[in-house]
Amino acid sequence: MKPFKYLTPATVEEAVSLYGQHSETAKYIAGGTDVIVKLKDEWMEPDFLISLKKIEELSEFRKNENTGDLTIGATVTHAILEKSIMIQKEYPIIYDAVSNIGSLQVRNVGTIGGNLINAVPSADGAIPMIALDGVALIQGPSGERSVEVKDLFIEPYKTVLKPGEILKKITIPAQAPRTGSAYIKFGRRAAMELPLIGIGVLLSLDADLETCVKARIVLGVAGPTPMRAYEAEKLLVGKKITEDLLRQAGEKAADESKVRDSVRGSAWHRKEMIRVQVRRMGMKCMDIIKKN
Amino acid sequence: MTIINFKLNGDQIEYEIKDHWTLLHLLREEMGLIGTKEGCGNGECGACTVIVDKLAINSCLYLAVDADRKTIETIEGLASTDGKLHPLQQSFVDNGGIQCGFCSPGMIMSSKALLDSNPNASEEEVKHALAGNICRCTGYVQILESVEAAKKHMAGGGQS
Amino acid sequence: MNELKELSIVGKRIPKLDAAKKAMGRAEYIQDIKLPGMVYGKILYSKYAHANIVKIDTSRAKALPGVLCILTGDDVPKKMKMGFYKDNPPLKKGKVCSFRDEVAAVAATTPEIAKKALDMIEIQYEELPGIFDPEKAMQPDSPLVHDYHKTNVLNLPWKLHYGDVEKAEKESAFVVEERFTTQWVTHCCLGTSGAIALFDSNNNLTIHTNTQIPSLAQKDFLESLKAMGIENKRVRVIKPIIGGGFGSKLDSYAYEHVAILLAHACRRPVKIQFDRVEEFKATSTRQPTIIYIKQGCDKNGKLTFRDMRMVLDNGAYTSWGATTPSVMMMPITSLYRVENVRYEAKCVYTNNTYSQAFRGYGNPQATFAIESTLDMLAEKAGIDRVQIRRLNRNQPGDVTPQGFKISSCGLSECIDAVEKEMVINGPKEKGIGYGIASLIHVGGGARIYKSDGCGAILKMDDYGKVDIFTGGTDMGQGMDNITAQIVAEELGLLVEDINVVHSDTDVCPWDVGAHASRSTFVAGNAALGAAKKVKAVILEEAAKTFGVSPDQIVMKARNIFVPGDAEKTMTIDKLLRKVHFSPQGKMLMADYFYDPDNENMGKDMKGNMSVTYAFGAHGVKVKVDEETGKVTVLDYVAAHDVGRAINPLLLEGQVYGGVLMGLGYALTEEVVVRDGKTMNANFRDYKLFTAKDAIKIKAPVVETYDEFGPFGAKGIGEPGCVPTAPAIANAVYDAVGVRITTLPITPEKVLAALMEKKKNH
Repeated sequence: MKPFKYLTPATVEEAVSLYGQHSETAKYIAGGTDVIVKLKDEWMEPDFLISLKKIEELSEFRKNENTGDLTIGATVTHAILEKSIMIQKEYPIIYDAVSNIGSLQVRNVGTIGGNLINAVPSADGAIPMIALDGVALIQGPSGERSVEVKDLFIEPYKTVLKPGEILKKITIPAQAPRTGSAYIKFGRRAAMELPLIGIGVLLSLDADLETCVKARIVLGVAGPTPMRAYEAEKLLVGKKITEDLLRQAGEKAADESKVRDSVRGSAWHRKEMIRVQVRRMGMKCMDIIKKN
Repeated sequence: MTIINFKLNGDQIEYEIKDHWTLLHLLREEMGLIGTKEGCGNGECGACTVIVDKLAINSCLYLAVDADRKTIETIEGLASTDGKLHPLQQSFVDNGGIQCGFCSPGMIMSSKALLDSNPNASEEEVKHALAGNICRCTGYVQILESVEAAKKHMAGGGQS
Repeated sequence: MNELKELSIVGKRIPKLDAAKKAMGRAEYIQDIKLPGMVYGKILYSKYAHANIVKIDTSRAKALPGVLCILTGDDVPKKMKMGFYKDNPPLKKGKVCSFRDEVAAVAATTPEIAKKALDMIEIQYEELPGIFDPEKAMQPDSPLVHDYHKTNVLNLPWKLHYGDVEKAEKESAFVVEERFTTQWVTHCCLGTSGAIALFDSNNNLTIHTNTQIPSLAQKDFLESLKAMGIENKRVRVIKPIIGGGFGSKLDSYAYEHVAILLAHACRRPVKIQFDRVEEFKATSTRQPTIIYIKQGCDKNGKLTFRDMRMVLDNGAYTSWGATTPSVMMMPITSLYRVENVRYEAKCVYTNNTYSQAFRGYGNPQATFAIESTLDMLAEKAGIDRVQIRRLNRNQPGDVTPQGFKISSCGLSECIDAVEKEMVINGPKEKGIGYGIASLIHVGGGARIYKSDGCGAILKMDDYGKVDIFTGGTDMGQGMDNITAQIVAEELGLLVEDINVVHSDTDVCPWDVGAHASRSTFVAGNAALGAAKKVKAVILEEAAKTFGVSPDQIVMKARNIFVPGDAEKTMTIDKLLRKVHFSPQGKMLMADYFYDPDNENMGKDMKGNMSVTYAFGAHGVKVKVDEETGKVTVLDYVAAHDVGRAINPLLLEGQVYGGVLMGLGYALTEEVVVRDGKTMNANFRDYKLFTAKDAIKIKAPVVETYDEFGPFGAKGIGEPGCVPTAPAIANAVYDAVGVRITTLPITPEKVLAALMEKKKNH
């Protein structure tokens, strides 16, 4: 690893200003579980590492009981989310996703913001944030701006963040009543997986507990970035959810996906898994709604 | 060079470090605490697990500079000063949880972090917590038995 | 059985002797050793699978401060070649034949400088067409991996034919035929490879290295010294505590010889320590295979013949992987009674990585084909799967077509034990399946070298403590305990009285190596032999003291006494002092070299390779998700005939560890190699099972008491991973009716087979 100087600003403004001073030669670091691997591989060789760990406002994690908005600061670790009873109960899709990122050792340090900014096609953390219509608040040299998490990713390892910008937090708007959500990471083993495919589904139902008023189908490793299967979602909205309808949505989502062959698995199998798992996750959503 | 202050296995330490050192490098190469192992260097095997402020972490992916003002526990700090093994160490010994031993310090530290925070951890919780500690020798069977036996022993009034 | 009477120390669940040290983080592995003045070596590997080296320029790297020396193929003596086929120089010259080819090496004052220097070595290559498919490499028009070898097919003797296979096939009522393939898998020892080499002022070499074969490695290193022009010098091999072996350390590696060359060139201790990526890319795998098999039976299910042909991808160089057919022959000729057997294996050079020994040594590959087709045969013949195994089972007293003399054999009892835990042929839910598969393995050494021996030197001090210096090697499996328990049992001492030294060729006698599940049997018999010699002297001396005959005396729990005579008793240490501090006193010491009475294979491949054979049967229950193809293991029984369990705790550890390794082989593990390149050199993509995947494994032990084993024991280090893959494959077939013939059995393959099956219906 090339030597660097480690800077620990206390505020976002200070961090952005430090970046301004060192620009090209600086990188931000949060938990570090991705960044340190890249430093070791000499994939990045900054002279300055600007740590976001000491910035208090980035670790905000709370639900506004009045508005129902959920705020997750960028440096909130996967383990904090995983252990939160509120997340387990109200946002099962977040729990499903973050509780299987890497190992517990990684989840104890790795942050949700880092997971998003690393922008790998398999980013488990991104799927629930997209499904829940999360909005990312970004701050940089030219002030603050908001981007929907679904629009955060450009290509593998690349987001819309401009040099010097920091992802501050994700805000998740209040969920509609009668909403269920679920995520599955499909791989060969039970843990430590980079998924062959990741599938998140969120459904909100009408008071009849049958008619779909909102659907989100989000796919990981199905293309260069995490993606929504819009056509498949459309197929569900306004209709009564049945296993057969979910099967059709799975077909549609598989068609929409941009899966490809890789060392980890082949495209056809990924497509099959989308077909099957969209239906299964949809059914799981229905179970969750009915249970609540 | 940066000076950090931290608590290591109960002792207050001041150490001059370089910013790019990992905690693993500091422990093993600078301080000579060889009990913490490096199995992959990428956070994929857990051999380097230590406890920082009660949480199990991979010391290969943790900068030493971040240890400043933290409380750190390594395998060297588990046995009591009279040489008596910690119940987890003793249980791993007694139940065949150790073969080649390279994963053992990390495995024991992960187990300790779990049982310290969740003394009644279920088998599923143990498996979930240890999933990041790879073992090639034991098939995990006797490791899981070791944790289970230690859990019972500790609940029964043993040292925690 | 009389021989299986309860003993004091043998048969007890005594924790591994070095476990406390390991639990405290005080065990020293190669990673932990630093010597005064030590510098760091690193190796530069090829950028191509097959290429001419046009030019190497090391001048920039040499100029880097901290660099002590740089070596290339030009600096390696011509005769310095590794492996039994002598085709592998530690640094390559002129041409590279695989991505793992070592082309240059650096010694520098820090690992960082050494790494930087590697980056500064400039090499100009001229790429050549590669050959990556062994069956294509066999064709006459294929490019040659080594021009001097004239053909890609190695000159090895793997061929046998006993009885008349063609006649037997004609007379068979049922015949099945199939092609199987097995993948590259790798050992994944948690402690990566490494070595430290240093020369003294007289050019004697000391090398600290992770090895399972201290004596044979010593021989390899002596040969390297000789090639370097250094003759008649000493080589001392010191083994640190080893972070996992599994066969990976059964041959010497380029890094060890490179460390020697560097140490000699810069006159400093040189350490080469692999990182995980290097461990994946530059150490050897299990031998991958392409297997063609035919098996037949008569109308009652009795096996009539077995006809097998294999093509082995040898990779670019030759290590023990190319000799695995010698062990594959064992299940081929001798798993179940079958009179007519034919087998031929061709090892073929390619530009892929080369293979090595790996737990089971070819047996898992051969057994996968044999046991999978046995189920196919049972189905075709309309015979119960368990019944066909019982019908053809090996029995004590059998001599197999290859000349293996089956002394003890508990295969029948192992099948019983599986059936007791699991109803293989019972009713079941959709998607659930059961599988069974058996195994035979060497359990009494394996004579694959000129000697299958192991030496032991035992000395006792004045306080009743024993030091035993053994040739055996512990790499976590428990050779240390077995030795201590056997010695303690024989001498009436406690395990804590026995110090087992197994780390240094300067003090430990010769041993052929920790392989072939031979440590318990061979190192155990060596220790027992030494203990018996000492015991005879003690009894003789005690007989004088007590005024009785030696056979009236018992040694137990640190005491020596005449049973029933309260006057005639004393502690062993007191007796030892008495013997020592008398006129013409003596210290008790003994040596023993045990070379088992087994046979090298003859030209016809016949010979009783092992003094005794281990048997086992595994049963598994799986669930197959028919929509995803994912196989989940629900229940596992692994029953083994171990002769006698010297230490059930460690025995179970070997079985559990072996089974999970076998399950990885069956389901998840594969070194993905594309055009010679390793694509998944990390634990994220090389899918070892995690604790979360762990299953409860039942491990019933069948004790048949083998007359040749120490206290009746046979070896059991490898069998756990031998029949695992076919047991799983058979269970998958039982569950969903598809036969998977390529390992690993991934969801993708199962789903593809299910879709194919649906299409055809």
